[in-house]
Amino acid sequence: MEPETGALLAAGFAMGLGAIGPGIGIGNLVGKALEGIARQPEAAGQIQTVMFIGIAFAEAIALYALVVAFLLIFVV
Amino acid sequence: MEILEHFHLSVLVPIKIFGIDISITNLTLYMFIAAVVFLALFILLALNPKTAPGKRQVVIELLLNFIKRNMIYNMIGKKEGKRWIPLIAGIFVFVLANNLIGLIPGAYTPTANPVVPATLAVIVFLIVQITNLVKHGIKGLVRTLAPASVPAWMYVIVVPIEGISLIAKPFSLFIRLMANMLAGHTVIFVFYGLILYFKSYFLAIPIVPFALIMNLFELFVSAIQAYIFAVLAAMYIGEAVKPKH
Repeated sequence: MEPETGALLAAGFAMGLGAIGPGIGIGNLVGKALEGIARQPEAAGQIQTVMFIGIAFAEAIALYALVVAFLLIFVV
Repeated sequence: MEILEHFHLSVLVPIKIFGIDISITNLTLYMFIAAVVFLALFILLALNPKTAPGKRQVVIELLLNFIKRNMIYNMIGKKEGKRWIPLIAGIFVFVLANNLIGLIPGAYTPTANPVVPATLAVIVFLIVQITNLVKHGIKGLVRTLAPASVPAWMYVIVVPIEGISLIAKPFSLFIRLMANMLAGHTVIFVFYGLILYFKSYFLAIPIVPFALIMNLFELFVSAIQAYIFAVLAAMYIGEAVKPKH
C-alpha cells in the first residue's frame, strides 16, 4: 500500500470518527436549551445566545478533525 | 484533487519594495472591496445623527447596542467595558465583512486563507497578554499560569495544563474561523464538481438547488463565526481585566 492510499483511508477515518463527539455534544446542547426555553420562555433570548456560543465551541472540535483530514489528503 | 485550487492566490499587480513582496493578490483585492463596501454602508447609515433617530440611524444603533450589551457588558463589565467597544466592534465588522464578501460568485473569501485569521488571532493574543501585564504587572502573568486558589502541591499538574490552554485559546480562534470558511466553500465546490465529474448536465437539476441551500447556510455561518470570534475575544479580554487576588 503506498503512502497516498493509506493517507486517503486515514482521512476518511479521521473525519468520520471525529464527527461522533461533536454530534452528540451539539444534540445534547440544543436539547437542554430547548428544555430551558420551555421552562421559562422569557429567557429565550439569553438562552439562545449562550446556545450559539456552545455550538461554536463544539463545532470547532469537528473542524479540527476536518483540518487533519485535509492535511492528510493534500499534503501526503 | 484540485478542489482546493480555488483557494490558491493569484497575483494581480506585482509590487516589490526592498525585496519584500507586497504585491496585490486577489485576497487583498477582495479585502479592500469588503472594507470599502462596509465603510461606505456605515457612513451612509450614520450620516446626519439626530437625537431622535430616523430609519437609517436605527440600524447602526441596533448594531452598536447589540455589540455593547451582548458582547462587552456581559463579558468585561460596565465600567471597564467602555474603552473596549471600538476594538470589539472593529473585529466583529471586519470578520463579518470578509466572511460575507466570499458569497459573491467568483469572489475569494479572505478569511478562508490561513493568513488573515492567524493575524487576527495573534493580535487578540498580544492584546490579552499586554493588558494582563499593564493591569497586574508581572504578578498577573504568573497568576495566569499558576492561579492563587490552587494548593501548592498541585502546581505540577496545573501549570502545564494552563500553559497549553494559553496557547490553545488563540489557536482555536484561528482554526475555528478558517476551517468554517474553508469547509463551507469546499462543500459548494464539491457539489458543482460532481456535475463536471459525471460529465452530464442532467445532474445540474438536483445539484444547483442543493448548492443554493448551502450558500444560504454559508450566510448564516458567516454571521455566527464573526459573532463567536468577537465574543471570545471579549471573553479573553474580560478574563485579563478582572481583578486577581
